[in-house]
Amino acid sequence: MQSPFEGKQPLGVVYNTTMSRPDAALTLALLYGFAGKREARMGAVCVNGSGLGAAVFCDVVHRFYTPGPPRNANQVLPPGLAASGTLPPDPPMLKAALERDYPRSVTKVSDTSLPEAVLRNGVIFNAQAVIVLSAPATYLAKTLELQGVNELFKQRVKMLVVVDAGERQDVPAMRRLLADWPTPVVFCGREVGEALPFPASAIGKEFAWSPKNPVVDAWQAFRSGPYDAPAWDMAALLHAVHPDLGYFGTDAGTIQVSDDGTMKFVAGEGAHLALRVDPAKKEKILQVLVETAGAKPAQPQPRVRPPAK
Amino acid sequence: MIVTRRALSRRTLLRGMGAAIGLPFLDAMAPAFAASSIPGGRPVRAAWFYVPNGIDMRHWTPAEEGPLGTLPGILAPLEPMKKEITVLSNLTANWGRPLLVGAGDHGRAAAAYMTGMEVYRTAGADLKLGVSGDQVIANAIGSQTKLPSLEVGMEEARMAGNCDNGYSCAYAYNLAWRTETQPLPPISNPRNLFERLFGTDIVEAPEAHARRLAMRRSILDQILGDTQRLEASLGAVDRRKLDEYLTSVREIEQQVQRSEKEGLVIDPGMEKPYGVPAEFPDYFRLMTDMMLVAFKSDLTRVATCMIGREGSTRAYPEIGIPDGHHPLTHHMGNMTMLDKVREINALHLKLFAEFLAKLKATKEGDSNLLDQSLIIYGSGLSDGNVHTHDQLPTILAGRGDNFVTPGRHIIYQRETPVCNLFATIAERMGVRPEHVGDSTGRLPGLSLS
Repeated sequence: MQSPFEGKQPLGVVYNTTMSRPDAALTLALLYGFAGKREARMGAVCVNGSGLGAAVFCDVVHRFYTPGPPRNANQVLPPGLAASGTLPPDPPMLKAALERDYPRSVTKVSDTSLPEAVLRNGVIFNAQAVIVLSAPATYLAKTLELQGVNELFKQRVKMLVVVDAGERQDVPAMRRLLADWPTPVVFCGREVGEALPFPASAIGKEFAWSPKNPVVDAWQAFRSGPYDAPAWDMAALLHAVHPDLGYFGTDAGTIQVSDDGTMKFVAGEGAHLALRVDPAKKEKILQVLVETAGAKPAQPQPRVRPPAK
Repeated sequence: MIVTRRALSRRTLLRGMGAAIGLPFLDAMAPAFAASSIPGGRPVRAAWFYVPNGIDMRHWTPAEEGPLGTLPGILAPLEPMKKEITVLSNLTANWGRPLLVGAGDHGRAAAAYMTGMEVYRTAGADLKLGVSGDQVIANAIGSQTKLPSLEVGMEEARMAGNCDNGYSCAYAYNLAWRTETQPLPPISNPRNLFERLFGTDIVEAPEAHARRLAMRRSILDQILGDTQRLEASLGAVDRRKLDEYLTSVREIEQQVQRSEKEGLVIDPGMEKPYGVPAEFPDYFRLMTDMMLVAFKSDLTRVATCMIGREGSTRAYPEIGIPDGHHPLTHHMGNMTMLDKVREINALHLKLFAEFLAKLKATKEGDSNLLDQSLIIYGSGLSDGNVHTHDQLPTILAGRGDNFVTPGRHIIYQRETPVCNLFATIAERMGVRPEHVGDSTGRLPGLSLS
């Protein structure tokens, strides 16, 4: 399509998530951290596999990290939510954040977006985009089948990063997605997240700039007491935004989806890549994750020129 | 015409030199009608009414989902038709948005709304868009009627020139796109529309045509022989129906003639083509009366009506508004301007409600024309002041032959493509497109049964 602004915008990130693990909540903070440095921007977030509360939480975090009125009603896409049929329950870790008085603009299903539309729009609104898939592939596969979307993604989406945190996949959808995906696919396996435990100590220290934070609320509600959490989605996002900075090694091979919904990566000949954590770089990666996710959001600049002295 | 003892064909035409008039549904057609290939047995009609420049949505959207209670201010003229309409909220015309191409919202809005496709920015002849929702249907079933589709407008169509930030006027003035490069210009002249409906491929000699118009003779005179032969074969009830129908055609013809007569003496400075009624409400009624006849006589099952071209600057002195519509919609919160926008919105809906009432009053077998139709009223813009293309104002009127349970407000998820509605209607019309533009599926919940 026509895009006179190509190359002038930060990379758009489309995040398809269940929002059911602490690293998912931290990934939103990481994304807004990148946005503060203009290294990436929120393209769209889409929830499937969880209830309305997960979409509300994404909206709450968005408003927490981007205070002030929306710049343009059409540029702020409401979160996507798979809502056909009976909604799954809300992830328990979100309850505390949802019960607090954070500002929100999403309160009911009709405030959320149709998943296929928002996954597509997240790309349309950005000259270049990446997609991080950490949820059943059901809706991303449907999106790819929409008219013109394969070509759109081919032009715009630099890569798809598929996260395997040990949850079951939608087998037919994921197989279809992998078969038809038009751009590079990168696999972020279980061992990657487990090799990068996001430190509990960072929660108290790096997020202290605010007396309350929905991401911290979710972290604390997930499990009692201090704990380190595998950073699956954060690792996927870091690589998606900065593939050229050498944080991760990569191996060629093929992502395989078993009939029981589990995934594995078979190294060798294949069109996919898998991320690998070099132990020597582990501390550096964690430092970037902690500092970026823990960054205080920049306050919106006043749009009115101050009066001349 | 040959009339036999068999059931009268639904496609019977009363012919004469330069005239071919379709018939309303008559009892004599019943057996043939029952054998129609249209799902459900009776033909369903679909029409799109497009209103430009968005709507003052604060006075449009009902407060609650579910059964319609007291309608908000702009919708108030539809109060008598409340049980016949469904208000659909949260539909989006994604490709109308600036996305990455910037300004030109009015240039894109109508085109993106109807097609669900990217509007290629050009002011030249290299138009590129997509097939509009109505034409998806017309291309598939149009051969079943005399006219595959009918395109009506209330502003004279422009097919070239730069109308908005490099977008061709063809995008703003046309609703129907037969192919991705071929718009079907709406007919805005009442005489031309009349001739389109009741004219024939057997062309009158130009002199004879001019003589008939000059003598103000009726087109009914041309078909007198066929009419008399048909009447002789009909029962008393059908004869009365036929008489009423032909009388209505004659009344329309007389309105057209009156408009032409008025057109001869209008101020040449007015932006009004020859033959167009001086007042907008009369113009609307005349054009939609002809749409009604086209549906009633099954001349077509698909129609579009552009109430105003996107970005229209029409003034409405009839209701005391001399300002242009488009400038008023950029009200910047000015309450005086907002009030005027609301009055214009309400006028359009008052006239639309009249049209619906006429459809409802038009019997068709044991049903009526409104119950057999799916009529969309909407716009590619919601807030005309800031140019938003989501949460679009959308009304679906009619039942589509028991396909819709009206009288309700349905709120869909945000970002639901308006083309999902068009795809749903297409399916009801017997067409099963994989996609209509950017549709992602069908609209659920239109029926409670």
